[in-house]
Amino acid sequence: MRPFWTLVRKNLHDVRWSLTLSASALFGLGWLFVHVASLQETRIRQALSDGKGFNWIRQMGLGADPPSVEIMMAFWNHPFILLLASMWAIGRGANAVGAEIERGTLDMVMSRPVSRSTYLGAQALTGTLGLLAIAASLAAGAYAATFYNVLKSPPTLGLLARPAFNLAALAFPMYGYALLFSSIDIVRWRPLTIASVLTLAGFIARVISVIPVFKDATWRPWAEHASLFTLYNPVDAVSERVRYEFDVAVLLALGSALVAMAFLAFSTRDLPANA
Amino acid sequence: MDRTPLILSEGLTKAYGPVHALRDLTLDVRQGEVYGLLGPNGSGKTTTIRLWLGLMKPTRGRATILGHDCWRGGLQVRRLVSYLPGELRMPGSLTGYGVLKFLSGLRDGEGLDRAAALAERVMKLDLGRKVRKYSTGMKQKLALAQAFADPVDVLILDEPTSALDPSARLDVLNLVREAKALGQTVVFSGHVLSEVEAICDRVAILRRGRLVHVEDMNARRRLRMLLVRFEGDAPPPFPEELGLSLRRREGRALLLEHRGELGPLLRWLATVPVADLAIGAEDLHSLYNEYHGAEAAAADEDEDIAR
Repeated sequence: MRPFWTLVRKNLHDVRWSLTLSASALFGLGWLFVHVASLQETRIRQALSDGKGFNWIRQMGLGADPPSVEIMMAFWNHPFILLLASMWAIGRGANAVGAEIERGTLDMVMSRPVSRSTYLGAQALTGTLGLLAIAASLAAGAYAATFYNVLKSPPTLGLLARPAFNLAALAFPMYGYALLFSSIDIVRWRPLTIASVLTLAGFIARVISVIPVFKDATWRPWAEHASLFTLYNPVDAVSERVRYEFDVAVLLALGSALVAMAFLAFSTRDLPANA
Repeated sequence: MDRTPLILSEGLTKAYGPVHALRDLTLDVRQGEVYGLLGPNGSGKTTTIRLWLGLMKPTRGRATILGHDCWRGGLQVRRLVSYLPGELRMPGSLTGYGVLKFLSGLRDGEGLDRAAALAERVMKLDLGRKVRKYSTGMKQKLALAQAFADPVDVLILDEPTSALDPSARLDVLNLVREAKALGQTVVFSGHVLSEVEAICDRVAILRRGRLVHVEDMNARRRLRMLLVRFEGDAPPPFPEELGLSLRRREGRALLLEHRGELGPLLRWLATVPVADLAIGAEDLHSLYNEYHGAEAAAADEDEDIAR
């Protein structure tokens, strides 16, 4: 097991700055959105009970008098949060193999007595730990902010952990397909581009599917189901709805399948000298 | 000299579609010998090494190291082998010691103390510095320290002296000799013929992915070349027991190869009418040129046109 943990330590050393930056940014965003929710809570409640304004919050399934945490969670759909989690997942996945071949550093590792599954396993563990860490930072930032901002009913850390885990689960399939593309490639830019385009397409599909004008369009359910982002519902995650477990299970299953495919691809491919 | 074959290649072939990087390579490397791989860029040396390390899957044929199949048993093979890549890249964010610790950690922590001692005392490296501040030669020295410190049966060195200064080159050649004395088998791939000549027991010459010649360097070191002109029109017959053979005739001058004892040759020369004589050795360069000189290049062009 020593080579495995040596690789995990090395990978964590490599990502320390990007992990710290991403986690700090999400901690800050978590704090900021609690602050905003605190300032707007009364207005939002008024609008929800009157049925006027804040339609985007109503679309997330909030009732007339939602608990504070549901109002907070409406902000967790902010593109910054999704962007940071996606960037981390795609960046780590694309770096795992293709970038190492391109740099020529894969030779240094793979010419040692390290199996391919050990190598990729260490990469997958680092990527997954990173995703959990940045998602946990979001929850931690929000939880810390509840001590400094007035909310009608402050949430517990355990409750905040649920949407945070949904965020990590959302990014897991993105990591999976970036890792798969990287495992069959010899450069970094191609898996990075393909994974980014896929993610962007999924995001656009999700946005289009919730535009009211297209509510009755025949293709709308297809667009909705084609997007991973449909399975990220922070409001559902805190309102104890059944859909949360299902969404997370689907995301984890899809991510695991993609990571397994990456293992299969990497174990049978040639490892050429640096590209 | 018939030692156990440690590395065996049987019909080893690597093709990328119609392009063959390596064709039907059949050779064996014996336990405890220093085996040279020679050939220009693209001749198949690095492909051979990568196939031996299990980093690539052969299209046909197979290779084994100590009985382990290089592709299916790549992990077991790499436990027995230490490899120095030709194009070396290291994580610049680590210190020299950090790199050695990382590399030895991938081999269950073995060889770290010896690697650090080699790097500091022989290679004169400051292991506390970040690797990104090392020159190319310093990085190569660091990797060499790790390779020679690994407790393995086989060392595969791909152009190990390419970035080194002359004194460091000598150190490397001495380390190869030490490794051989310790019973390690060394595969030495390089372009500097004098180095290959100095340390190798046998040398394989590759050309365009094919093995074209294997030279026994110990026999070659016993080889003498005689450029001789005899008086009279016809040269005297050569006694068979002398081990003389005619390489080339240029007018009245004969270029002879001699692989036997020197005494009988000198005694025989004293009895025949010699008009002029020069005795010397032949370096590896002339052998290499037979396969990679201008004539070989012209033959390659003819082959390409015929296709």
